[in-house]
Amino acid sequence: MGREVSESCVDSLLTEMVSTYCNRFYANKPELAARRIEAIGYQVGHQLSERYTMERPRFSDHLEAIKFICKDFWSEVFKKQIDNLKTNHRGTFVLQDNRFRWLSRISIDPSLESAESQDSSTPAESKAAQASSMHLYFPCGIIRGALSNLGIPCAVSADISNLPACSFVVRIKA
Amino acid sequence: MIVCVAVVGHQNNPLYIQSFTEADDALKLHHIVHCSLDVVDERVNNPKKSGPTLNETFLGLLYPTENYKVQYVFFSYGYLTNTKVKFILVTTDLDVRDADVRNFFRRFHAAYVDAVSNPFHVPGKKITSRTFAERVSTIVKSFGLSSAT
Repeated sequence: MGREVSESCVDSLLTEMVSTYCNRFYANKPELAARRIEAIGYQVGHQLSERYTMERPRFSDHLEAIKFICKDFWSEVFKKQIDNLKTNHRGTFVLQDNRFRWLSRISIDPSLESAESQDSSTPAESKAAQASSMHLYFPCGIIRGALSNLGIPCAVSADISNLPACSFVVRIKA
Repeated sequence: MIVCVAVVGHQNNPLYIQSFTEADDALKLHHIVHCSLDVVDERVNNPKKSGPTLNETFLGLLYPTENYKVQYVFFSYGYLTNTKVKFILVTTDLDVRDADVRNFFRRFHAAYVDAVSNPFHVPGKKITSRTFAERVSTIVKSFGLSSAT
C-alpha cells in the first residue's frame, strides 16, 4: 500500500475540474455547476472514509466522528490537521483551516481587478470571491460524503475569511 | 473450512454473498447469515462488555451464540465497520483461533475497501467486481493456514 500521488497533479486536476464545470458545462448556471462538483466530492469522501476508518474502532458519537475528520482524515488528505474546531453542542460544527491547501495557490487575476476597479471595486471582488468559493464545493462534498458514510447525514457549507484561511460549517441533520 | 462469506450494507441489504461448498445448501447458509444479522444488531445496541472491546469492529462468534448444541454444524462470526457495513463469515470448524478470524476480516476489509473505491461501483449496490471475487476466494483458501507456522 502507501501509494502516493503528485500534489501538483491533484491541484491541477481540481482547478481544471472547477473551471470545466463552471465555464464549459454549466457556464450560465453556477448553482448547477456547484451541485455537480459537490457530488463528485461526495463520492470521493464516501470512499476515503471507508478506507481511512479501516483499522479503528467504531465511533460512539458525532463528536468523535467529527474529531476523526479534523485529525486523521484531514492529515491523510491535506497533511495537516484542522486548526480550530468549534461547536454549539447542538449539531453545528465549525472546522477552521488557517491555511487550506487548495486555496493557498489562488490569486486574484490582476487584469480583472484593475479593469473593473476603475468602475467600482465591488464586482471584481465579488467575482474573485465567487471563483474561489467554487473551489470549496469539492472539499465540502468530501466532508459530507465522509460523514454520511459514517452514518451522520449533514449539510456542509464553506466560507472564506481571508484567502488561505477558510472554515467549513457542518450542520448535522437531526 | 469457511463455507460462506457475506457483505451486508447498513440497511441490512445484501451486497455480496458467496458460498464455498460443493453441496447445494446455499439457502441454509443464507439463513444463517440472516440469523446472524439479528445477533449483530443485538451486540451493537446493547454492548455487554465495556472497556477496550467496546465498539471494536470485530464482533466475535455470533451463531450459535450461547449454548453449543450438536445439531449446529455451522458457526458464524461477525465484523461491523465504521460505515455500518457488516461482514459475516460462516465456518464449519469448531475450534477456530480468534486471531485467524481477525486476520481474515482484516484482509477481507481491505479487499472490500478496494472494491468500493472503484469509481464504477455504485454505493449501496451489489458488488459485482470479478477481481473482488477472486481476492475473496484467495483469502478464504488461505484461512487458517497461517496458524501452522
